[in-house]
Amino acid sequence: MADGIATLISSLGLTQETFLVFCVIAILVVGAVVVIITSRPILDIYPYLNPSARVRARKGRLFDEKQISEIVETNNVEEVENYLKGIPEYADVLDEYPLDKALDVERANTYDFVASLAPKDIKAPFAVMSKKADIDNIKSLLTAKEVGLSPEETKELLIPCGSLYEDLNSLADAGTVTDIVTSLDGTEYAAALEDALPQYESTNMILPLESALDKYYLGKLLRSTDVPSDENKQILYSYVGTQVDVANLKLIIRAKEDGLDYEAISPYILEEGYQLREWKLKDLMESPDVTNVVSGLEGTKYAEALTDVMPVYNETGSVAVFEKALDVYTSEYSKSLASKKPLGIGPIIGYLSQKENEIKNLKIIARAKREADFPNSKIMEMLI
Amino acid sequence: MVEIALGTALAAIGAGVAIGFAGLGSGLGQGMAAAGSVGAVAEDNDMFARGIIFSALPETQAIYGFLIAILLLVFSGLLGGGQGLPTEAGIVAIGVGASIGFAGLGSGMGQGMAAASSVGAIVEDNDMFARGIIFSALPETQAIYGFLIAILLMVFGGILGGA
Repeated sequence: MADGIATLISSLGLTQETFLVFCVIAILVVGAVVVIITSRPILDIYPYLNPSARVRARKGRLFDEKQISEIVETNNVEEVENYLKGIPEYADVLDEYPLDKALDVERANTYDFVASLAPKDIKAPFAVMSKKADIDNIKSLLTAKEVGLSPEETKELLIPCGSLYEDLNSLADAGTVTDIVTSLDGTEYAAALEDALPQYESTNMILPLESALDKYYLGKLLRSTDVPSDENKQILYSYVGTQVDVANLKLIIRAKEDGLDYEAISPYILEEGYQLREWKLKDLMESPDVTNVVSGLEGTKYAEALTDVMPVYNETGSVAVFEKALDVYTSEYSKSLASKKPLGIGPIIGYLSQKENEIKNLKIIARAKREADFPNSKIMEMLI
Repeated sequence: MVEIALGTALAAIGAGVAIGFAGLGSGLGQGMAAAGSVGAVAEDNDMFARGIIFSALPETQAIYGFLIAILLLVFSGLLGGGQGLPTEAGIVAIGVGASIGFAGLGSGMGQGMAAASSVGAIVEDNDMFARGIIFSALPETQAIYGFLIAILLMVFGGILGGA
């Protein structure tokens, strides 16, 4: 057989050395092709491995149902606080701040944490979310000024987080709402606030300013997710887009409950929704009442969640049932997104969504525990 | 220049393929597992030992490749100064290297992904350790098949035992 191979090599006009060189080249070419093909999925996965493990570690420390029940069964808000002081995640912030502020700080820290570890490709939306502390602080400042709180009381309302905290803290001494808006000149919120300022001055209500901030935030959040070019970005776009749609829907439902018409609502709505596009939002805003808004959603993914609670709304007349249904829907949808890409963006979205819910639930419990004789069963119903 | 028979030179290529590709798969897999483990340890110091175990799992593919490469080098006469291999046995040696090399590449990468995912699951829920080990061990089978075929090729291809 060796002779046969030697004959074959020589019949090809090759020496043994040349044959060896061809073998080496063939192996290198095959190797290069294999490496290129196999490294692609690795390159997609690799940036997410470390962040995934970190958020999953924190996700594992979120409260389970048993712990939430234990907190609900506490007798008063002091016991809630003591319970949370025994949990490392909340102990540090509770040492420094009262309960509600500590929860706000923990939420802001969570956004900062996720924004800091998110891989470069998906960092932008999380960076926008981490600016929510600034927006909440501006709203607190405006509210404090509107109701005439003292500078000390105003400072108490501010969350010590966000890039503008120091500046906003110094604005606690500002004389009027207009002074605050003009002092924010040079920040990214200036244009949105200044556009809404005439409306504030004509109505003397800060709602237009708060809505302008919300609209600016949602618009920036939606635009921060560029063209969804891969599965991770598609999931992120769905997650962010659903938040925008839900915020729009909550606003429309509440406005319809208050009997507002299209002209009154449209300035506060972000026209570029995700599944609810401009024409659909216009239809909803033109609906005569809440019932028609819900029926107008037929064919969208939000229809079922809202239709299911329609009887409760008819019974109670409270639009809070729709808001809770939308929160539950967002939570469930985020959970489904989280399981789609376990070695990608999934765990990050799963953790962020569940942590938000945990903090919302703790706030609900804290508020309920401040009320005398608020039944625990009622608290459990209110939780997301 | 040292005189090397064509068969021996081909076996050297086989040895390079064996450890080269198996090492590549093992390295990529270990890198993924280690990246996940570092993230877990950053959040929970107690994860260090378990992180090491999962990061070490994709090492085996490189060991198989290394073992086959050494056997090829020894039995082809490159190490130990034995007789050179005939040309046909040299071609078999390339098959030997490809067998463990490519099997080790796929197995190492797969094991790395499973191990990284398992580390994430364990840091979230301690009870996942045993199940994580089982899932992470599954992609080992491809490397074992490659290793087995490499040994059989060496035995029946006239490299080991002179069949």
